[in-house]
Amino acid sequence: MNMTVIADVAPKVTADPALSIRDLDFWYGANHALKGISLDFPVRQVTGMIGPSGCGKSTLLRVLNRMYDLYPGQRATGEVIFDGRNIIAPGVDVNVLRSRVGMVFQKPTPFPMSIYDNIAFGVRLHERISRAEMDQRVEDVLRRVALWPEVKDRLGASAGALSGGQQQRLCIARTIATRPEVILLDEPTSALDPVSTARIEELLDELKREFSIAIVTHNLQQAARCADRVAFFYMGRLVEVDSADQMFTAPREKQTQDYITGRFG
Amino acid sequence: MMPHESAHTVQSYEQELEHLRSLISQMGGLVERQTAQAIAAVADHDEVAALEVPELDPKVDDLERQTEALVIRLLALRAPMAGDLREVVAALKISGDLERIGDCATSIARRALRSELLSYPVSMTGLFSMGRMVQENLRRTIDAMDRRDSELARSVWQSDMAVDELYVSMFRELVTYMMEDPRNIGPCTHLLFVAKNLERIGDHATNICERVYYAATGRILPVMRPRGGIADQGL
Repeated sequence: MNMTVIADVAPKVTADPALSIRDLDFWYGANHALKGISLDFPVRQVTGMIGPSGCGKSTLLRVLNRMYDLYPGQRATGEVIFDGRNIIAPGVDVNVLRSRVGMVFQKPTPFPMSIYDNIAFGVRLHERISRAEMDQRVEDVLRRVALWPEVKDRLGASAGALSGGQQQRLCIARTIATRPEVILLDEPTSALDPVSTARIEELLDELKREFSIAIVTHNLQQAARCADRVAFFYMGRLVEVDSADQMFTAPREKQTQDYITGRFG
Repeated sequence: MMPHESAHTVQSYEQELEHLRSLISQMGGLVERQTAQAIAAVADHDEVAALEVPELDPKVDDLERQTEALVIRLLALRAPMAGDLREVVAALKISGDLERIGDCATSIARRALRSELLSYPVSMTGLFSMGRMVQENLRRTIDAMDRRDSELARSVWQSDMAVDELYVSMFRELVTYMMEDPRNIGPCTHLLFVAKNLERIGDHATNICERVYYAATGRILPVMRPRGGIADQGL
């Protein structure tokens, strides 16, 4: 019988993925936190990652730019292919990787310096550009995150004086200033009010024209609003990944259904 | 079909969904009764049955309004997802179809009381078997709805074709009687409307089956349903 499935109308993934995870396992010491994950992050799409606390979604995000390197006893096996290379293999320049795979955290983390320098700092690490070019870069990214009108007259002021929502937009501006290909966001709006949250979500819609985005969120409505594709994790495993339409109207797995309808445990 | 054996962590949400199911179930019971009584009114000249059908209408309308209010409340306050979302939206659509079934039954019952129909000039066999068939399909539709049984819903959805075929043949038969003797035009026109209303009840039942099927499985039945020659003949 000729059945129509909602997923058939969702955008098809055509180009090579921005990031491709193959058979990834991850350990915090003896704790086996990620088990056999294989997942693609399509180019210029928002991939949402959802699941209960401890399911491994934030761990996965930290693997994608080797954040775990900072801590002893943490190790990963498998492959994360980015630009043709396995980025969890030895010999990868982690600093270059992090400029190409940027990250935004749950709480805004502005550096204790001026608004201008918050952006210029990361750029200077990777590029030698003139003062005029830097001014242009700072203005450009602040416009991109819709912060420019609010801060253009006080670029020398401390970033700490901005509101929480403004700080988070500054952190996103800082991330895109190094011109990454991928942006990772770990619950970027959980500390923000609804208006600031809406602005960040609007910004994600804008940014995905240029960047591939992975977002971890506990807010299912946010995943539904922002993500093109959604991956559901449970106890270190990837249970299901599909278009947001399919996941929030008709998930295939009962565990997914139970989680997103609030029937867990 | 995705079973709902586990309950919501939020108990009051679970209770609201249960209340929604009970509203739809009550509506289903009422319009099933209206349809049965309307058919009895025509078939057996049962005046008591004929009078009961319109009296049930305000109750059906009230349940439809309650359903709509609850659905809006659930959407606004609970933001249902996945199976819950499908069920809540299906309930809204189903309540509309049930209300229309009640209207069709009322229309049939009102005609049954007309004096022209007390002595039929024509054979009623076709109309009676159409009535039985529609009543049976409606009963199975309500069952599928109450049990969230996608397979039963699909089976009823397919079997409405027989109702459509009967309607097409009744239409031809009644037109023939009218051409034979102009005195048949009055009663035959009423009978034609009765048949059309039965056919409409069948259609609303298939709409309900489509919603039940989608709510239970997340899949959509094909847009084109097998139909017994109604569309292509413009009847």
